[in-house]
Amino acid sequence: MNNIRISPLRIWDVLIWSFLLVFAMFIIVPLLFMITASIMPATEIMKLPYPWISKTFQWQNYWFGLRGADGSFLFLRNILNSLIVSSTVTFTTVILSALSGYGLAKFKFKGRNMVFIVMMATMMIPFEVIMIPLYMVAMKMRIQNTYLGLILPFLTTAFGVFMMRQFLITFPDEILDAARIDGGGEIFIFNRIVLPNCGPAIATLAILTFRSQWDNLLWPLMVVQSEEMKTIPQYITKYMAETHTDEGIMMAIAVIASIPMFILFSTMSKYFINSTLYSSIKG
Amino acid sequence: MVVISKGVSTVPERIIRKKNDFTDDGKRRKNWSMERKKARWGWIFVAPTLLFFMVFSFYPMFNAFYMGLTKKDLLSLNPPKFIGVKNYTYLFKSADFWNSMKDTALFTLGTFLLLLVFSLILAAFIISRKKLKTLLQMLYYSPALLSSVVAALIWLLIFDPRGLANQTLNFICQSPGIDHKWLAASNMLRLSTIIVYFWKYIGYFTIIFVAGIGSIPISIHEAAEIDGASRWQDFWCITFPLIKPTTLLVSVMAMIQCLKTFSTQYLFTTAGAPTKPINVITLNIYNTAIRDHRIGRASAMSMILFLIMIVLTWFQFKISKSDDVTYM
Amino acid sequence: MKKGWYLLLLLILLVFPFQGLAAKKTVINYWTHTDDNRTRIEDKYIAEFEKLHPNVEIKRVVNEASKMGDIVLTAFAANNGPDIFNLPIEQEYGYICNKRVAPVDYRALGYKSLAALKDDYAANTFEPVTMNGKIYGLPLELTNWCIFINKKIFRSVGLDPEKDYPKTWEEMADVSEKLVLRNGEILIRRGFDFRYPYYLVSFLPMVQQLGGDLISADGKTAIVNDQAWIKALNFMKEWGPHGRNLGSPTYINARKIFDKDNNDIAMCLSGFYQEGRLKNDNPEFFDSGEWMVVPFPVFEDAVENQGCAFYGHYLMVNDSIPKKKQKIAWEFIKYMLDHPMEYLTEVNLIQPRKNLVNSEFFKELPYTDVFMDDMERSKAVFLHQNGYQFEQYIREAIEAVMLSGTKTEEALKTLKRNIQEVLDEE
Repeated sequence: MNNIRISPLRIWDVLIWSFLLVFAMFIIVPLLFMITASIMPATEIMKLPYPWISKTFQWQNYWFGLRGADGSFLFLRNILNSLIVSSTVTFTTVILSALSGYGLAKFKFKGRNMVFIVMMATMMIPFEVIMIPLYMVAMKMRIQNTYLGLILPFLTTAFGVFMMRQFLITFPDEILDAARIDGGGEIFIFNRIVLPNCGPAIATLAILTFRSQWDNLLWPLMVVQSEEMKTIPQYITKYMAETHTDEGIMMAIAVIASIPMFILFSTMSKYFINSTLYSSIKG
Repeated sequence: MVVISKGVSTVPERIIRKKNDFTDDGKRRKNWSMERKKARWGWIFVAPTLLFFMVFSFYPMFNAFYMGLTKKDLLSLNPPKFIGVKNYTYLFKSADFWNSMKDTALFTLGTFLLLLVFSLILAAFIISRKKLKTLLQMLYYSPALLSSVVAALIWLLIFDPRGLANQTLNFICQSPGIDHKWLAASNMLRLSTIIVYFWKYIGYFTIIFVAGIGSIPISIHEAAEIDGASRWQDFWCITFPLIKPTTLLVSVMAMIQCLKTFSTQYLFTTAGAPTKPINVITLNIYNTAIRDHRIGRASAMSMILFLIMIVLTWFQFKISKSDDVTYM
Repeated sequence: MKKGWYLLLLLILLVFPFQGLAAKKTVINYWTHTDDNRTRIEDKYIAEFEKLHPNVEIKRVVNEASKMGDIVLTAFAANNGPDIFNLPIEQEYGYICNKRVAPVDYRALGYKSLAALKDDYAANTFEPVTMNGKIYGLPLELTNWCIFINKKIFRSVGLDPEKDYPKTWEEMADVSEKLVLRNGEILIRRGFDFRYPYYLVSFLPMVQQLGGDLISADGKTAIVNDQAWIKALNFMKEWGPHGRNLGSPTYINARKIFDKDNNDIAMCLSGFYQEGRLKNDNPEFFDSGEWMVVPFPVFEDAVENQGCAFYGHYLMVNDSIPKKKQKIAWEFIKYMLDHPMEYLTEVNLIQPRKNLVNSEFFKELPYTDVFMDDMERSKAVFLHQNGYQFEQYIREAIEAVMLSGTKTEEALKTLKRNIQEVLDEE
């Protein structure tokens, strides 16, 4: 019987593989474009048809990109800023989300549902909406042009709270109660029992948070004006608008700007992908 | 109920066993005082986040709500003038506002459906493969690692009349020299923004679906196979209904993402693309506040967007709650 | 892993307190847009000025030009504006109307009277920044745009650039038609292309050439002379992909690629500063003399001979800072602006000071005569409290006819309605 079914299965296999591969092409071509264009002279990038492999490898695009138009190497400083801001925000988001997710999932108290709903509602607020009032808050705190100014409005997210809560809801109560009876304080329990068991959730949340901070443009634009405090997206938009715009160098900058995210992702992807975590996230 | 237990097993079993040593009576008394203590601790755990949201979300939100009822020029030193719901009545009569609603609806609907359908198909296909599962997921996710600015930079060059988009389409259609006006013609421009967004987020939702499908106990599929179900029937009658929670999660998240879209449209219009076809509400809010200095009207618009999101999310929960799935 | 996080947190907590610890100096924040050449010389002036005034610290903050307006606006909205800033006058006008900037302290500048200050500059320099007899800014630059031509491309299609350069808009379209190279519909080389987002500077004068205007003289009615507008809009429509397909806003900015001399643009619209950038970016092309500058074209049946509108960047001082600080700010502005020659030679910015524009040196620089002659027949850029908003409405109208294929009459109707609404609201 199996022998008869092989041939339609084969056809299915071929079809499915080709679909997956064509789709992979769609995903990967723009990335390949970025990488190939980053080592091309600008005059060749806009040629018809696009020469995928250039005759001249213009590796100096990377050097010029790093050095900047004025030779100040500000890009490096801006990468450092982005790293500091993104990792701090990731750290606080994970901790605060885990704390409140734990509180909402494992403790019964009056108004708990209200607190949860209210927190979730913040997920629906588009940033553009609260941008100006938020800016005024930041000004009152005198935190413009500081790391604090870049970090403070993003300490945690409703999505993080939601994710940690859903993850921890299924955490066995027996373990927690047993630890309490053993005389473990609540902080101790959170630190030693809850947190170490949140590995996959924390890794996922960390990647998502880091990514969205790495991407943040509007807020830094408003709150940071000094060159030394700018972040990568700001640097790129600034570079895009400058007179010396050279598509090759621009793409080299784009590649450099993406490397930290790729490193982070490749080290943590084993948690991020294949984790059964997402299935626990439900309404 | 879908339950995960990964990682939890590292807790020493000793602790679990100890629990049974207590008598019923002692347990009850202990429980009562513990409940109160726990309630207090619950608040303590929630407090920092709640405090944060108060200062950085609710306060600005209430501020925006109040501003929505006033008229104020952003540059003017005069205090805001209270005008009641006039901003709202103005908006409901404004063609520009309804155009934005239309653009947002088109973008959200287009991107949302594409994301939902394709991530489900891709996930189902990936699950059915024996090899390269992880690699494919990583590959599909990789665009999400680029920041929006970089993504817009790449796609602007691709959509340039001399760029790859025209070359590829002309190669497929065998129509050399046609300019498909990716950034110029209204509908093509809408499609372009959808493509960029789809490209960026498809991997993420595929990963979620793969996890959702993967969490269905294999025994259920085996039972179906014994009953003689074909692959197709297996997918429609077993997988599809059982991943409903995942579908709900994906659809709520994708929808909120799409409604909040800003940077792609913003960067495209600043690079020379016409505004009108992709003047989504967030972009309109930004322009009304920053370009026109009308902070009151912009705030009113943002309250409407907020309301739309709440209603749509509630609606999605409503239709999915009607019949819950359990298989454990 | 966890240890690393804690270390990071510790590090950040350690870094923060030190940022606030600065000596008690008067700090003047000066926000301006990116221009590497100008940064170089202004950093020098700042150092010199700080030496002269040891208790003053100037913080010069650079922002990318197209985002600068938004950033300054948000800062002022939160009552946290910079002490000194410059923006294009179209945007600065709203700050004057709303009394957010301080009138010029002519004594701090070392003048005996306002008239003496005015007398130092070319006529009409202060017209855009004068309100109720007070002057609200000093010009960092005054710019008008002319047509830059790449002679090589002209000759390559058998045209003589010196004779055949376009004098009218009709000729501009015809000459461009000869200059373009296409692959099917896709433009590989454009003849000329506009500076699209700046419609008040370059498109409104075209309407004015035909006798139209944006707002009536009494400021109450939008769109004067529909016929002029329709003709100008139709010209844009013909220019775009739905007409003769000579260019469009979605191609790369013409001014940016002109310098590269890469055989993809023959003419662009730009100011005198373009010469400086050309010299920097492509000295070979600059020295070859294979480029030239010609006046802004005029329609064949124009009723007014008008060039591109001239606009300026004016240095302004925040009105909400203490008077003493304002005085220092003006002194600093004066210190910078007292080097008009360096601004000219190093940055290619024209500060319209009489002794500069009348000097032999100035007259001998390449094509300054073309720019100055064109300036004489031009008007200052359209100014209105909502000017920037109007510009966006014009942009929508032009995009509608050029790219979306909307009927010209319909686009004009929408434009008129939008602007009228803003006017009626006041």
